[in-house]
Amino acid sequence: MPVVRLYYEDMERLIGASRDTIMGRLAMMGADIGKRAEEEHVDVEFFPDRPDLYSAEGVARAMQGFLGLKTGLVEYPVEEGPIVLQVEESVKSVRPIIGCAVVRGLSFTSEAIESLMGLQEDLHWGLGRNRRKVAIGVHDLSRVTPPFRYFGEDPARKFVPLDFTEEMSMQEILQKHPKGKGYGHILQGCERYPLIVDCKDQVLSFPPIINGELTSVTEETEDLFIDVTGTDGMVHKALNIVVTSLAERGGRIESVVVKRSEGDFVSPNLQPSSWTVRAAEANKLIGFDLKPPELAECLRRMRFGAVANGSEVRVQVPAYRADIMHSWDIFEDAAKAYGFDRLDACLPGTVTVGRAHPSELRKAEIREVMAGLGYLETMPFTLTNEKMHFQWMRRSPKGAGVVAVLHPISELHTILRTSLLSSLLEIFAMNQHHPLPQRIFAAGDVVVEKKTRMHLAAASIHSGANFSEVRSAVDAVLRELAIEAEIVPSQDGALLPGRGGDLLVGGQKIGCFGELHPLVLGSFGLEQPAVGLEIEWGEL
Amino acid sequence: MLSKNDEKVLEAISEGDSDPQSIADKLGMKVEAVRASADALGEQDLIKVTKSVAEIVSLTEEGTKYAKEGLPERNLLQSLGSGKPISELKDPALKIGLGWLRKKNWATIQGGVIKPLDSATMGLDEVMLQDLLAGAKNIADLHKKSLADLKSRALVASSKSKEWRYVITGSGRSLAESNKKYSESSTAFGYSNISYLEKVTSEVIKNGIWDGKYVTIDGNRYEFRPYDVTLAADRIIPGKKHPYQRLIDFMREIMLEMGFVEIKGQIVQSSFWNFDALFQPQDHPAREMQDTFYLDSLADIPDYSRVKEMHECGGAGSAGWGGCWKPEVARQEVLRTHTTGVTIKYLAEHPEPPVKAFGIDRVYRREAIDATHTPEFEQLEGIVMDRDVTFSHLLGILKEFYAKMGFEEVRFRPGYFPYTEPSVEPEVFIEGLGWVELGGAGVFRKEVTAPFGIEHPVLAWGLGVSRVAMLKLGLKDLRLLYQSDIEWLRETPVSIKL
Repeated sequence: MPVVRLYYEDMERLIGASRDTIMGRLAMMGADIGKRAEEEHVDVEFFPDRPDLYSAEGVARAMQGFLGLKTGLVEYPVEEGPIVLQVEESVKSVRPIIGCAVVRGLSFTSEAIESLMGLQEDLHWGLGRNRRKVAIGVHDLSRVTPPFRYFGEDPARKFVPLDFTEEMSMQEILQKHPKGKGYGHILQGCERYPLIVDCKDQVLSFPPIINGELTSVTEETEDLFIDVTGTDGMVHKALNIVVTSLAERGGRIESVVVKRSEGDFVSPNLQPSSWTVRAAEANKLIGFDLKPPELAECLRRMRFGAVANGSEVRVQVPAYRADIMHSWDIFEDAAKAYGFDRLDACLPGTVTVGRAHPSELRKAEIREVMAGLGYLETMPFTLTNEKMHFQWMRRSPKGAGVVAVLHPISELHTILRTSLLSSLLEIFAMNQHHPLPQRIFAAGDVVVEKKTRMHLAAASIHSGANFSEVRSAVDAVLRELAIEAEIVPSQDGALLPGRGGDLLVGGQKIGCFGELHPLVLGSFGLEQPAVGLEIEWGEL
Repeated sequence: MLSKNDEKVLEAISEGDSDPQSIADKLGMKVEAVRASADALGEQDLIKVTKSVAEIVSLTEEGTKYAKEGLPERNLLQSLGSGKPISELKDPALKIGLGWLRKKNWATIQGGVIKPLDSATMGLDEVMLQDLLAGAKNIADLHKKSLADLKSRALVASSKSKEWRYVITGSGRSLAESNKKYSESSTAFGYSNISYLEKVTSEVIKNGIWDGKYVTIDGNRYEFRPYDVTLAADRIIPGKKHPYQRLIDFMREIMLEMGFVEIKGQIVQSSFWNFDALFQPQDHPAREMQDTFYLDSLADIPDYSRVKEMHECGGAGSAGWGGCWKPEVARQEVLRTHTTGVTIKYLAEHPEPPVKAFGIDRVYRREAIDATHTPEFEQLEGIVMDRDVTFSHLLGILKEFYAKMGFEEVRFRPGYFPYTEPSVEPEVFIEGLGWVELGGAGVFRKEVTAPFGIEHPVLAWGLGVSRVAMLKLGLKDLRLLYQSDIEWLRETPVSIKL
């Protein structure tokens, strides 16, 4: 989750409240503060549904409402500007959506630039799916001359990318520039790459990869041109978040005319969206009992425009909010403003009867028997690997119905186990420094042909472990669990020939038992004889 | 706690006997038993045990024969009478004697005739043979010259052996004395025949006549040997449930008590149930390969038209995500990343209120293994679906649930989960740690429930059970749950406080 660094002094100035007041309420607004409070600042995590809180200005705006200092919708004036950006057909198959804006009259410090870059990166992550859906470019407007053009360019086109001094072709940028290598996959398979140039054909931006060096923002920059490109409507949300955040810093927003064959539009559009919600519905969801004016007051504290109208509340959702897609999203904000701690946390009147799952009842029986026989329970991983599960056990993976994961994270965990016994031997191997005898069991899930089945396995290791010990255990288990199985000699490679049996029910093999083959023990690095049993007792 | 034998051995040593053999002879015990008792006494500092290596002499086979039948020279001498010509000596054994007869100066040979001299007294070598016939002797106790002769004739052999010497200590002496006094006082009370019983036998039970601590059987009066009950005994370990399973069952019990039905589901799930049914957009970061274990296979999925419509166009008051929802993405199989996929499937099959269900099962995340991350772990999840249940009820259920878990102080912080709205992160207060986030909760979004015809609110919460295990079992390393140290399993008591 994005981490936003908030400087206390900055926050006190932006919000108009004391540090203690702010810090006391921040978590209840929906933030994870953790233990990252420092002398000068605190690093706060905000959730992915609230990209409008990814900047100090955004947090201040929300906090002012939450504390009741300034409530209701913030109106951001947009001056009509003369700048035009032309969208050409050549870019529409590559990266069709663009929004842009101008913000003037800014004064940047190096911290403010850093903060703006931080917001950009967080939005790339939170809204942009790592720039695929949304990519933002911020430019020093004084370095270029409008009108601008957004079009699909030949990858051989050269320009000087940000942080470089030499010209590179767009193709080279994808191969050599760190950002190109990081995000080039988004343009994979495209014949032309998106580019924004000014009227002199100077490059502002190669979205979603990199800006040109020409327009990089410095402490001298006063006027910004902002482009946001992508694949859907989130482009405009991201633009709105950036420009309103800059406006909170004292910038003046100026619109840009975007010209397209399907119709021109003026960007940004900071008009709030209108919703009408019923107080009764909010009450039914949250469990409080608010009259429409009270609900409206709560919503204003969350910086919505809200006016009670009979049993309804007319809500204006700010243009920077990216998370409101259902009336319940609005009601949650009302509950936050009301305070979760003030809600009546009581039990519902729902009457039901509890019931354990039959497989858990069976497992309890198994545990009772195995503990009675002196075995300690273990709960090994269900993920294992072919080498241990099959090769070391002298068993074949063929026909075992094994489920392999596509991208294992470690060579130890590549498949789901189809049986349990090898996991017990692995535990023995880890416990060779502890006294023998060791007797352990596991009652757990295995997966065969993608279906979950339930097994019991038990194993015993000590110098005197022998067939009669395991045969006695098998007999006890079958008797206690009321399993009527026929015992026949086993061909299982894991077992010593002539010292192993298979358990059959209705001719179907449900398990095996016997002395483990010395070659198996050797593979696990075990130096004492061991016996084991395994029984399948159910499936989901 | 001294056994009867230990006591007897102690007494013998206090009376000056110092080697195992003589004590064994005296007490009519086996020498091994004496040594075992003495070792035990030594460990309790009642006697001092010194071990040394001694050279022990014993008879060879030939030596044994001569010890029994007499040396060849002695036999020859007796066969001489008043004299005998050498030519008459036919027995080769007698010929061997001839050399020694002359060497010992028992006879002379004159003109081919052997004539005995005066009385041939019993030699030291012959005495030694007789002694050794009774048993091996320490070399230190034997006559050196005779021993050398017998050795040169290969009639004896020596070997090194360990030897024990016992000396009473101060505390040993006082214990021996008090034991003696005790038995004398018993005698003084007229119980001269009193002795200790070791075991309760059926004879004792059937025929014993009890008087306080004394029991009389067949006219004999006994007392059971008192033990030092403060001494530790051998450790035995019962078979047990896993401590973590104990915690899981503790949590299951809570849910069952609160009236929830336990549900289960498959480990291998389609992306449809794991993600899409929960309104997780198909390009959501949580669905990426780096967080989820995907399988190289596609699942059958149910009629998805309403889910597809909800994702693409919305409905039930929602705007939806837009974009294009692809069934082939939903068909990709995964190891379930949470139990919520199982829950929504159960709700889809049971859309009529009321439903209260829970599950505790293993879930899978593609995370590198370390002390606080394992690629699989248990998750608890509970849901309540009914007419008129609210977010406030969810908080009430959480308070009750955490209180039953032993977390009395709970507070609720706004949270975010993709498939619930409102969402809340409960925090519990733990002494020494402060407020600790423990799980997540919320009301299932309309976008989740509506496509499955679930009309009433679904309150849901979940938490990582292994997190709870860290708090409740005092674990520092989660791997211990799955790759258990057997000593930890042995030593963790059944009555561990959860």
